[in-house]
Amino acid sequence: MTDCPNGTVRDLLPEYAHGLLEGNEAALVAEQVAACAMCREELALLGQVNEGLTRGAPRVDVAAIVRALPTAATPRLAQTTSRRWVSRHVWQYATAAGLILVAGSGIVWKYEPDGQVTRVADSSHVATTAADVAPSAASMSADEGITFGGGLSDLSVDDLQLLLGQMDSLRTLPSTDPQSVTPVIAINDGGKTL
Amino acid sequence: MSAGNRDVDVQLDVTLIARWQRGDQRAASELVERHAQALARFAAAQGVREGVEELVQDTFVRAFNSLESFRAESSLRTWLFTILKRLMLDRQRADRRAKSQVELDEGHAVQEFNALDGLVADEAMQRVRQAVDRLSPLQREVFTLRVTEGMAYTEIARVVGSTEGACRVHYHNAMRAVKEYLSDD
Repeated sequence: MTDCPNGTVRDLLPEYAHGLLEGNEAALVAEQVAACAMCREELALLGQVNEGLTRGAPRVDVAAIVRALPTAATPRLAQTTSRRWVSRHVWQYATAAGLILVAGSGIVWKYEPDGQVTRVADSSHVATTAADVAPSAASMSADEGITFGGGLSDLSVDDLQLLLGQMDSLRTLPSTDPQSVTPVIAINDGGKTL
Repeated sequence: MSAGNRDVDVQLDVTLIARWQRGDQRAASELVERHAQALARFAAAQGVREGVEELVQDTFVRAFNSLESFRAESSLRTWLFTILKRLMLDRQRADRRAKSQVELDEGHAVQEFNALDGLVADEAMQRVRQAVDRLSPLQREVFTLRVTEGMAYTEIARVVGSTEGACRVHYHNAMRAVKEYLSDD
């Protein structure tokens, strides 16, 4: 079997065999095939090879494949979103619980609209300054001041939700780590100060 | 080259994907129906004798799991063939490891190959299969995609990880080799 010298047409024969050509190209190949025995032979060979490979392939069970596929994307997306929502809120509730514990130890802080933090009650364990919380406090509007003190367990669910919402707007939280303190102890030992 | 019919096919796939993403599971069936047999044909033509259906199924599962990231830069069919080819390579590697462990001899493999070739009843068809089997793996991939799917060289190049020009050369060399083998009778 010899090759037709018309390389352009020979190159298009597989697409022609599959009916993928249109317009001028389809007409060009049809004309050449009609006039050229070598092109007809090659076209026949393409059909033979296609048939041989197709017949040799096992039939696949479409229904079984479809059963193995994931369900449509929309419910999956919804599931993902809901999972993200839960994980986000778990952290918020955990943070709120931590705050309640801290508050329960007797600390009372008041965030003022001007960004200053006023210590309302004393704590022997925690000390912080206005500078520590100024950036977060500055991000709050004047009417968004949060005041809480004493037993936060007295707060209602609505109050806690409000608190969580406002926590979202805080860029940082006040440090609850105790600051290092250099003890100054004056002991008068017989007129000498140690 | 005119791509009219091809574009219609590509557009239909895009529409079916969108329907599936909106929750229409029947669109998934249509997509599988459109492409599964072509994938099986390709795998079998590359010499895969067992687990063709499993390979095709894995291809679809992988594709559907990442359809959200499918950008339609290539056609769905090209993308599916690319996934299938990767899975076939993975399996070949695993088979090679397994074979080296059990030390299967060459004769055993050839015997198994010939016996299964008998599934193609027609003698002429068997000759065609043998002619294709004698091609190099890359020639066989390019030739199969071109002959059985009418795939364009650009798409074939994506599937086999080569260039359009190289694929054209591989196709014509493969065609010459097949003709020579069949005219030896």
